Amino acid sequence: MNMSIKRLMAIFNKDYKDLSRNLYVSFTVVVPLFLAAFMGRQGNIALEQQYMVYNLTLCLVTAYIQCALIAEEKEKNTLRNLMLSPASTMEILAGKGLLSFATTLLVLGLSAFFLDYMPKDLIVVTAAMVLSAIFYIGLGTALGLMTKSAMEASVIIMPFVFVFSFGTSLSFFADKYPFLHAADYLPNAQLLLLAKEVELGAGFADVWSNLGIIAIWVVVMTAITVAIYRKRMVD
Amino acid sequence: MENIIEVRSLAKIFGNQTALADVSFNVGKGETFGFLGPSGSGKTTTIKILTAQMSQTDGEAFVFGSPAADLRKPDKRSKIGILTDNSGLYERLSVYDNLKLYCDLYDVSYTRIEEVLQMVNLEDTKKKKVAKLSKGMLQRVNLARAFLHKPALLFLDEPTSALDPVNTKHIYKGLQTLKEEGTTIFLTTHDMNEAEELCDRVAFLNKGTIQLLDSPKSLRRQFTDHTITVELVDGNKEIIDIGANGASKLYNYMSENKVISINSNEPTLGDIFVEVTGRKLS
Repeated sequence: MNMSIKRLMAIFNKDYKDLSRNLYVSFTVVVPLFLAAFMGRQGNIALEQQYMVYNLTLCLVTAYIQCALIAEEKEKNTLRNLMLSPASTMEILAGKGLLSFATTLLVLGLSAFFLDYMPKDLIVVTAAMVLSAIFYIGLGTALGLMTKSAMEASVIIMPFVFVFSFGTSLSFFADKYPFLHAADYLPNAQLLLLAKEVELGAGFADVWSNLGIIAIWVVVMTAITVAIYRKRMVD
Repeated sequence: MENIIEVRSLAKIFGNQTALADVSFNVGKGETFGFLGPSGSGKTTTIKILTAQMSQTDGEAFVFGSPAADLRKPDKRSKIGILTDNSGLYERLSVYDNLKLYCDLYDVSYTRIEEVLQMVNLEDTKKKKVAKLSKGMLQRVNLARAFLHKPALLFLDEPTSALDPVNTKHIYKGLQTLKEEGTTIFLTTHDMNEAEELCDRVAFLNKGTIQLLDSPKSLRRQFTDHTITVELVDGNKEIIDIGANGASKLYNYMSENKVISINSNEPTLGDIFVEVTGRKLS
């Protein structure tokens, strides 16, 4: 499969210019940063609380920005122009995901700085964060493709923000409601479990199952997103 | 002449509504082909099938010798340009930035932006934000985007519907230039003057079927009643047959200085459409 970097970067640059002038969407970047700065000042933050900020970043910044970008393209009928151009499905999806991805890494890095978080194995945690970001980009793209406007996107994302940001808390009630154990397999829960393992000295070999589960989410979400995208190419 | 578009017995049914029923036509290389019909006659559906945005229920559609559905492959799409009635632009970006994106997507030099903006009479507005453009200007930028990459085949769905006469002329001039460069143009419109001005051949589409297909000139000849109308100084108008008797009658009026004006009764495409379909074009 050939991928034109020129086309990919053209879409990225266009999205960057467009988003920088769209305060309604770009303002969401500030929310997790504000939360991280606020929590950071309190000192000695538990890992669970820190990861609530990171998972919120992945939902609000990664998934929501992606969802809003795609939904607006649909609303303004510009997505169809991209689909009718020589850009391939992967060039368009990757180009449109690149901005959310870059913004996510920046916000996660700054949040970690504010929270004074330095994982014992930076490479393992970074790999897990990158995989998670790809999943959330896929989620945002799929939701964006299913909505009709940027306004609708900001509503449809809400249940996902709840589940993927605060879903880790659901397992506290698992003793009473056993089906809630399923929440342990959510990507956000796996990210937290992996981070805890890393703090106990685990390396790649010890957390492969966590990475594997997140990777499965990525594969499934990518397949769903590509299928929805291809369906949207045709009326 | 090599056919760029070939359509055979094309049909499209939405639920229990027939949008297209047994439509067949060819469009030759370098030809400007007009697809004329009122709203809801199936013009846009045809464009959507030909550009692989929709699948047909029955029949065959070929573009550049391959099934139209092949245009879903990215490498095939660089040969076509499309302007539809709902083509969009990025409102927060300038005209230039919008076109620059498509230069990169189609691998076209940025110098082409100046050329296309000149063609649509918008060379002074390239730095303007799209959000600040009027409806007519938006349509012209969309047109510029559609032919930015000098497509071999250009689909235009009502290209001048939002334009004033001055800018419409600019567009016609631009399309004429593209035609001279060998671009094949598939144009849908309900503007008969536009069809007369631009099209080599036109097809009248009504209720999903083609009612007539020929050059505007041939159609006018086919439907003319071979008369002229002579307006006389006394205010009367006389319809005279074209022929020996009519010629002597006209000669007499003219030699007696009784004639104010002589008008051809050749029908317009609009008149022919109404006669054939019983419907007005709107």
